[in-house]
Parts: sequence; structure tokens; C-alpha cells
Amino acid sequence: MAALETMVRMGELAVSSAPGHKLVSLGLGSCIGLALLDRRMGIAGLAHIVLPQSQGHAQDNPRKFADLAIPEMLSELEGIGAHRIRLEAVLVGGAAMFAVAAAGLEVGQRNEEAVRDILRSVRIPVVATATGGTRGRTIRVDVASSEVTVREAGGKDSELLAGSRTLEVAA
Amino acid sequence: MSQYTELQLDALRELANIGSGTASTALSGLLGRPVDISVPKAEALPFAEAVEAAGDAEAEITGIVLGLIGDMNGTVLLLVPPPDADKLCRMLGVEPDDEFALSALGEIGNIVGSSYINALASMTGMEIEPTPPATATDFLGAIVETVLAGAAMNGDVALMLDSNLVVEREDCSISFLLVPDQGGVDLLLSRLGLA
Repeated sequence: MAALETMVRMGELAVSSAPGHKLVSLGLGSCIGLALLDRRMGIAGLAHIVLPQSQGHAQDNPRKFADLAIPEMLSELEGIGAHRIRLEAVLVGGAAMFAVAAAGLEVGQRNEEAVRDILRSVRIPVVATATGGTRGRTIRVDVASSEVTVREAGGKDSELLAGSRTLEVAA
Repeated sequence: MSQYTELQLDALRELANIGSGTASTALSGLLGRPVDISVPKAEALPFAEAVEAAGDAEAEITGIVLGLIGDMNGTVLLLVPPPDADKLCRMLGVEPDDEFALSALGEIGNIVGSSYINALASMTGMEIEPTPPATATDFLGAIVETVLAGAAMNGDVALMLDSNLVVEREDCSISFLLVPDQGGVDLLLSRLGLA
């Protein structure tokens, strides 16, 4: 079954409610791929977060920062019918790619902490993670079923969060 | 500054040309073989596109990274396809599965990166020191985005100076990327009188 895949690249985010649609971030290193899922509505969002805090930097692209990307993704998800109370989070990435970290390269860990802090403050539970370590990862989110798969370099896709079909018909 | 003029990019390309010429001489001395260089590219790209420009995000690649500190902060990244990394090890008399293989590659990165940086520093009168090399074999996208993340705080555009070093008759090539921080690029251009 060929699914339509939307690539969510560095500093980008996407939301979708289209059946058969997948949101994908290829080769996450220190960045975090944050998936937010409304399983009942078959709605999903994916943000490819680069840095933890904007620290007041006025930027052309606020979506690369955890503190600005997450509120924006929430409002976009709600805009297409997701309910905040039902959202579940999946985190992938945040690796330390280089064993001898040059200055600033330990950013992966700081990214994960920042994302977890923000999710806690908006009361969204983290239901699955593949984070830390030293390997890069690819995340795929199936919008309709909320299935999330992850793949490491040299490996195969493995299921991180099982998908489920929504039987309710949206009113 | 987030956009560069053609004149500025030409000047940066010329810097990259001289830097990679010096680096190829150093690599040639290390390997005892002639090394060719391609015409370097200088591209200013939004981060999302910069990763794509570096290649297939899920391709496996060996990355050797050196940090730059001093008047210009930034990162030097050498990208080598794993079969070519194996060839480089053998040219240095180290088997690819040997425990010293990664440090041999790190040393190549160190010598190539340092000679490039020294050439750049002496041309522009800046003091720049490389930090010790670190090595990883992984998804190309993961390696490149991690390097770019280091420059992402102060801008949305990555300046990538890209050269290719090719070891003659060995079918072995190293892609060389210099990613200066935003402030570093501005200083570089001001030293060239093009800010």
C-alpha cells in the first residue's frame, strides 16, 4: 500500500487528518521528531525540532525551537479538529551523534528535556520514545491509525506505537 | 545577514578553493598519492534544504567533525562513503575493522581540516583553532543536521562551502563541508572587504 508521505524537514512541522497519509522525518540526529496524535479522530502532527529554547531570538522560522513549535503545532492540530485532552506524544531523536562532543553538540539531550518539560506543562502524556544514544533515526507517523515506526541506520522499521483503527464516524 | 550576494558567494568560493587546495596537498602527503579537488560550491540554503543538498538523508556515511573556535566559530565536516573510508584506512596501513580505524579516520580529518582552516585563517588574518576530531558512521541526514543545529541559533540559513577531494586511481572521495556560524560568515566577509 503506497502511502502519501509528507517530509517534515529540519525546523518544519506538519499536521494532517488525511487517511493514507504519513508524516516522515528522515535521519534525525540531535533533533527531535515530536509526534502528537489524536487517535480517536485520526489526526496527527509531526514537528522536527532543532533547538530547545528560542531565548528571545526573533527568527524567520520559529518552528525550529521547541518552545515555539509545540504551541504552534497544538493550535494547528486543534484547527483541524483534534482535541488537546486526547493528544498523546511520541518522541524520537535527541541523539549524541559524536562521541567526543564538540561544543554545543550535546544539544540532543537538551532538546529532549525541553520537549518533555513543555509537554508536561500542557498535560500531554508521552506514550512512547526512542531517544538518546548515539544513533540517527527516521520516524514515520501513519495519520489514520496513529501507528509510529522508527528506523536506525542499517536497521529496519520497527513499531514504536501500535496503530489502531478508529471505528467512530466523525459527526 | 541572511542573504548573500553573488559577489560574496564568489569570494567565499575562492576562499574554499584555496583552502581545499591546501587540504588536498596535506592529504596527498599523508597518503603518498595524488589528490584532485573539484571546483568548490558555496551555497546559502535554508536548513531544511541544506540537509537535502548534502545528499540522501538515509544513506549511510562516515562523518568526521571538527569544531572551530576563535575569531570564527563553526564546524568542519568531512563526509566519506563507508567503502571509501575503508580504502582510506588501508592506504594508511590500517585494516577497516581494526580498533584504530576510527582514530585513523579522525587523523585524516584532523590534518585535512586543520590545513584548510590554517589557509583560511592566514588569508583573512583571523585566529581560528580546530577542536579534536570526532567520528560517526550513521544516516547522512542525522550527521549533517546535528552539525547544522550548532549554527541554527543565530540564523535560518546555512552557508555551506563544499569541496570534493578525490584520491586519484583509487575511486575514493571525501566531501568537505565548512559551516561557519552566522557571525563567522559576517566577519569572514568583512575581512574580505565585502560585508
